[in-house]
Amino acid sequence: MLVTGAAAGIGLACARRFLAEGARIAMVDRDPNRLSGARDSLAPPDRTFVIALDVSDGAAVREGVGEAARRMGGIDGIVNNAAVDLLRPFAEMSASDWNGVMAVNLVGAMEVCRAALDPLAASGRGAIVNVASAAGLRPVPGRVAYCASKAALIMATKALALELAERGIRANAVCPGAVDTDLFRASLGDQWTVEDVKARYAQRRIGDAEEIAAAVAFLLSDEASFITGSALAVDGGRAFH
Amino acid sequence: MTSLAGRIAMVTGAANGIGKRCACLLADEGADLVLIDLDDGALEALAAELDRQDCNAVAIAGDCREDEVLERAFEAAQARFGAVDILVNNVGRSARERAGEFVGSDPATWRFVLEVSLMTSMRFARRAAPAMRERGWGRIINMSSDAALAGDAGLADYAAAKSGLLGFTRSLARELAPYGVTVNAVCPGAIRTRATEEMAPDIMARVVRSIPAGRMGEPEDVARLVAFLAGEGGRYITGQTLLVDGGRWML
Repeated sequence: MLVTGAAAGIGLACARRFLAEGARIAMVDRDPNRLSGARDSLAPPDRTFVIALDVSDGAAVREGVGEAARRMGGIDGIVNNAAVDLLRPFAEMSASDWNGVMAVNLVGAMEVCRAALDPLAASGRGAIVNVASAAGLRPVPGRVAYCASKAALIMATKALALELAERGIRANAVCPGAVDTDLFRASLGDQWTVEDVKARYAQRRIGDAEEIAAAVAFLLSDEASFITGSALAVDGGRAFH
Repeated sequence: MTSLAGRIAMVTGAANGIGKRCACLLADEGADLVLIDLDDGALEALAAELDRQDCNAVAIAGDCREDEVLERAFEAAQARFGAVDILVNNVGRSARERAGEFVGSDPATWRFVLEVSLMTSMRFARRAAPAMRERGWGRIINMSSDAALAGDAGLADYAAAKSGLLGFTRSLARELAPYGVTVNAVCPGAIRTRATEEMAPDIMARVVRSIPAGRMGEPEDVARLVAFLAGEGGRYITGQTLLVDGGRWML
């Protein structure tokens, strides 16, 4: 299993869950210090490999994914969880703001998929889960590029599912609602409180990273062997997809 | 597996196909089962099979459209196990031999299809939801169909009923979310059941060609998703429509 954005939040919860289920994990993150700290928080360390890279760097992705496949002895599943957020009024956004968000959230995820194609096909049960966002199904205020990047990731996932089915690879998207992570806290800015955000959800609460990891694990498992090209909202009732 | 140990699950249309696999898998996970079906022979056989596996099951033979059958099912559940925690609204059917082009169809047939495939799920949910809400935990899983999304020529009434279930699912999800009760819809694609066994080989081949995964689904494929939604793994998923269709229609 390869997880990007694995140093914290949803990525770390996924790594923790897969390890508990007996998998070997390649943890990918751009921050080497947070990554080694995250790895040390997991047990057993002999089944975890850390690879520090930025998913928007295509050459680093190809090299890192190759290394992950060698060290784990193959890749059965990947979780594209690395993402950046951008809370900025549309009128103030430059082309480079747009490119920065798309480079990680869309192109980065696709480059990881492309680099992993051969090992995923060789696995015979290869599966991709792209962590998009419920904001890619139903918009949230103040984050035009983020919403657009996640909607693009959802459609890219479906198109990938169609193209990769003949190689026996499934591709699905999980669309989390607000989850209590560093990215979420930062996204509140000065304008919103946690209570404002809770009010948008039918369950009137914020999710746990473990709740997202449960859906990711299900979609990667053989339990979901007939599910491909789907976008599953795990959002306590907001997108109603 | 015992992740549903102590939970009480009710499955309508439980004797065959998808309903049967849902019942078996929920039982494997430790739930006590209330099974309802019109086909009493198959229902008894399933109850006996579950009994041999030391699962607790009570079987109610009857037509889910009838209030008396619904009442009998909930009373039996209460008497034997307690309040229903998990409701799998699986019963539903097209007009089959009466199905055909909409331009030649008849409102009596629509009423029948809407009654079985939409109203029955609403009635079971209406009966089950108050106790779920009161106890702060519950799962309602409505079996819709890919026909709700893609449409199905010759089955306009069925597609309307299954699409109606999606709006019902979303609305009920909103109402029950604050009480720890999730409500979701599952849309099976082409699944191998008794109905598909009777398909002509060339039609079958054409269906399979339209599925990116390259195969028909099995009842097991649907049941696994239902079991996931019924468990703790599904607690933050509500109001959703989930396809199990090998990528035929991508939501």
